[in-house]
Amino acid sequence: MAITVHIPPPLRPYAEGTDKIAITPADAGTVGQALKVLVTKHPGLNDRMYTNGQLRPFVNVYLNNEDVRFLDGEFEAPIKDGDDVAIIPAVGGG
Amino acid sequence: MTASNETSSTPDLDRYSRQMRFFGIREAGQKKLSNARVLLCGVGALGTVLANTLARAGVGFIRLVDRDFVELSNLQRQVLFDEDDVRSNTPKAEAAAAKLRQINSQVTYEPIVAHIDRSNIEAMAADVDLIADGSDNFEIRYLINDVAVKQGKPWVHGGCIGSHGQTFTIVPGKTPCLRCVFEAAPGPGEAATCDSAGVLSPIISIIANFQATEALKLLSGAEDAINRELLYVDCWENTTRRVKIAPLLGKVDCPCCKHHRFEWLEGSMGVQTTSLCGRNAVQVVPAGKPNLDLPRLAESLSSYGKPQLTKFLLKVEIDGCQFTIFPDARAIIQGTNDEERALALYARYVGH
Repeated sequence: MAITVHIPPPLRPYAEGTDKIAITPADAGTVGQALKVLVTKHPGLNDRMYTNGQLRPFVNVYLNNEDVRFLDGEFEAPIKDGDDVAIIPAVGGG
Repeated sequence: MTASNETSSTPDLDRYSRQMRFFGIREAGQKKLSNARVLLCGVGALGTVLANTLARAGVGFIRLVDRDFVELSNLQRQVLFDEDDVRSNTPKAEAAAAKLRQINSQVTYEPIVAHIDRSNIEAMAADVDLIADGSDNFEIRYLINDVAVKQGKPWVHGGCIGSHGQTFTIVPGKTPCLRCVFEAAPGPGEAATCDSAGVLSPIISIIANFQATEALKLLSGAEDAINRELLYVDCWENTTRRVKIAPLLGKVDCPCCKHHRFEWLEGSMGVQTTSLCGRNAVQVVPAGKPNLDLPRLAESLSSYGKPQLTKFLLKVEIDGCQFTIFPDARAIIQGTNDEERALALYARYVGH
């Protein structure tokens, strides 16, 4: 079992089409570190997810479907095997 | 704003017999639906599905607002329109109302062919019980959020692109609002639009019918049954996700629902337009001078025309208009004097 980081469809063009990556607790111990592994692996995501080092305000990150902004430690929240990290941006169309 | 004619005070309920047998609605809920009033913002893809379901369910009054006309490329997913509407160049609000009158004549429809903006949305929402999001852009959604919170009315958000979509329900004071969940709208060019990334009809139907169900719960007196999570569905990848947004209530230092600063209604957020006198052109200026990634925008628009990209600007011709777009996201759209059309073109192709 690993930690899965899900990449939403609108961001996949900046991640070589990848829909998710699997990382191990040895790679990342917190949500923030998991995101760092992701953007290191797919540098094109950096600009799409961050501005001035902050997550863009229309991009949310959820750990096991809970908003990371309101977890204890926020992006320092610890992660473990089996955890699910999802990046979900606002959707404009309709 | 008043209805063009009054809803029947005692509509024939027989046609709703199957719905009234459902334990969550019964006759009492149906009568509440018959007396309920809805503002539908946008009568395109989400909007036609919403209108279809709400009208068939017997919601008493539906105000349908859309500025556009029916085009051939709409028919793939905009379920109330047909080829006659395309040929006759009928406004969407009128075409939808005409079709809905054939579906359920007990309902009162008020079609309004207008661009929704901060000058008119408060009046449109003043006499309704609920606002349904049938729009296709962030500008209108954040405007709806402002007016809903200001007037203390529930609204049901939905958004779709490609094969995925998301929806959640906002009841001011009882759930987090749109700005609690997504602090701000993407800047111009920062998010894909259905015109750049495409959209499948089934995801529209799925999301809009989740929205319609939420509206039926709220309007029939079943608020306890509403969805309090962000629901995400991808119908191509067969995935669903339920994100827990309820815990955000009261925790977010939200400009809108906590501090009652209605920045889209006030015009300090969003996009402004100015007709450029004598030039048959409109300037579109987003608030805040965001940085726009011109090379990326040029790439996404390459299927529409031949974008000319320089260090200073991007030029491209789409829909008979010449777009000149600058790195601060300002655009001059030549070929129209109509500010609403220019704004719609900007939303569609640059995105905001």
